Amino acid sequence: MRDMKDKRMGLEDAVHEYVKDGCSVTYGGMAGREPTAVSYELVRQRKKDLVFITDTTVDAAEILIAGGCLQKVECAYIWVGVVGSGLNYRRAIEESIPNYIKTEEYSNFGCSMRFLAGAMNVPYMPIKSLLGSDVITHNPNIKVIDNFYGTGPLAFVPAARPDVAFIHVQRADKMGNAQIWGMYANDDNICRAAKKVVLTCEEIIPTSDIRKIPNMTAIPSYCVEAVVETPFCCHPLPVSGYYWMDIPFRREILGASKTREGIVAWMDEWIHGVKDFNAYKEKVGPKRLAKLYEMESDNYHIPEIVLNG
Amino acid sequence: MTFSTDYNTNELMAVIVSKQIKNDDVVFIGVGIPLLAGILAVTTHAPNAILIYEGGGIGARTRRLPWTISDNPTTDNALAAQTMWRVFSDQQRGFITLGIIGGAEIDRHGNLNTTVILGGDHTYTHPKIRLPGSGGANDIASSAGRTIIMMRMQKKKFVRKLHYITSPGHLNGPGARKKAGLVGGGPQAAITDKCIFGFDSQTKEMVLTALYPGYTVDDIRESVGWDLKVAKNLEEVPPPTEEQVHILRAYDPMGFVLSSKTVVGQNGFDVFCDRVQKGYRALQEGSEI
Repeated sequence: MRDMKDKRMGLEDAVHEYVKDGCSVTYGGMAGREPTAVSYELVRQRKKDLVFITDTTVDAAEILIAGGCLQKVECAYIWVGVVGSGLNYRRAIEESIPNYIKTEEYSNFGCSMRFLAGAMNVPYMPIKSLLGSDVITHNPNIKVIDNFYGTGPLAFVPAARPDVAFIHVQRADKMGNAQIWGMYANDDNICRAAKKVVLTCEEIIPTSDIRKIPNMTAIPSYCVEAVVETPFCCHPLPVSGYYWMDIPFRREILGASKTREGIVAWMDEWIHGVKDFNAYKEKVGPKRLAKLYEMESDNYHIPEIVLNG
Repeated sequence: MTFSTDYNTNELMAVIVSKQIKNDDVVFIGVGIPLLAGILAVTTHAPNAILIYEGGGIGARTRRLPWTISDNPTTDNALAAQTMWRVFSDQQRGFITLGIIGGAEIDRHGNLNTTVILGGDHTYTHPKIRLPGSGGANDIASSAGRTIIMMRMQKKKFVRKLHYITSPGHLNGPGARKKAGLVGGGPQAAITDKCIFGFDSQTKEMVLTALYPGYTVDDIRESVGWDLKVAKNLEEVPPPTEEQVHILRAYDPMGFVLSSKTVVGQNGFDVFCDRVQKGYRALQEGSEI
């Protein structure tokens, strides 16, 4: 039995303990607050046959695909957005390299409501999206029913209950009360839909500071199994109030992803070639990380009351 | 007001999309040119319009361009920071008056494909080209009050029949959306890099309504995979103003969106930080005058 008052543990141990080959995994955030460090660790530990359940995930999903960790994605969008194409996702689907990945598709609202259903412990939720589209044609788990009240057709999406969720937040206490600044994505529901939640955070703060601004708490500690303090966890993706997206670094991953050999060499250098995430950060360079932090504080401000109570 | 003589097509498209945003609109905004168009609208002719981002940001007055629909500035200087399921529920409820979306393929009724390209023996599970999927586009196409489509014109994109309907336009014509159970109004216009299309109120089919400077009806006809309908009073789109171009470039000083430029390496990193910072500082100083 874990200590319920102090759930802190290391990233390596958390990934080793909570992720078994073949289980289903989800991430919080969406581009912002995607736990990239968790993807690196899953690849480093060579986890296999995972089912990745998400709404939209960018680079953190591409790395899992390139690392051969996934057998299936349940999603609305896997790509790398404004930076370019999801080259690793394309290679997996079109050429089965490194392995074919099944795709069970929804829309972002569809995925959102799957997590809400999971969080409410009900089997499905009805929505008015997806109707008339081929998303329904190719996903038998979406049911269209002219509903019981006779008010017209609805699309029913099944609840999502991932085995483990990794959710990155700005700050949390050691029990796992987690505060998010900026957009929440679906994290208030993902933390309740998942069977187990591993929180990663930029910093651990005293519970007394959590109590000063309870409205910022998105995740209460009773949802959480483990707390992993991981500053810069999302690099090269951003965290509101903490650091910018490192677009040049994302471009380098994208450039490496143009060929299978390229991304394998990139993973050898940046994932297998470093001992852990701290070594990765050393390799990225403390000066560069500090600059991303500095740029964020230059044009995005968390109010003083939040920082100092 | 002075018209710009030095602008590119992306800048013109951003200006045209921004004009579609009215002062009382609540807009679901996507990444890239639509995002710049939204920012241009709220800093010029539509100061009361509320921009909504899928990550949960509502009404941000960003001090720099967000690089994704959930990037940090999407809640900078904002009215509210909420959840994804909540902003999509707000859309289904009817609060979002306008959505802006794009696609890899479009048909004459404004249905969009962003999922798979087939052909030959290819199937949905083994496509010729795999694309990102819906993201929030299906939801916006389904439930926003009206939608504006943004697409580059190529014959392989403007097709008779889609390989896959990701986001519903007017489906197969009049009445089809209502029958399917969709609550939103569907596409109102399609804005391309050569022209603007409207949708006929009777047939729900695309109609060429305006040309950009330098293009003819034949140019457009060549790029469309069906029998093109042309409006009786075809208009020519005016160029952007100098002010509009200035604002767009200040928000995208690296040309990530406007010129599809790229940066890599440590040197690229330093240039990236420096240029973006100069851009937003210039804007802040400009607004104080």
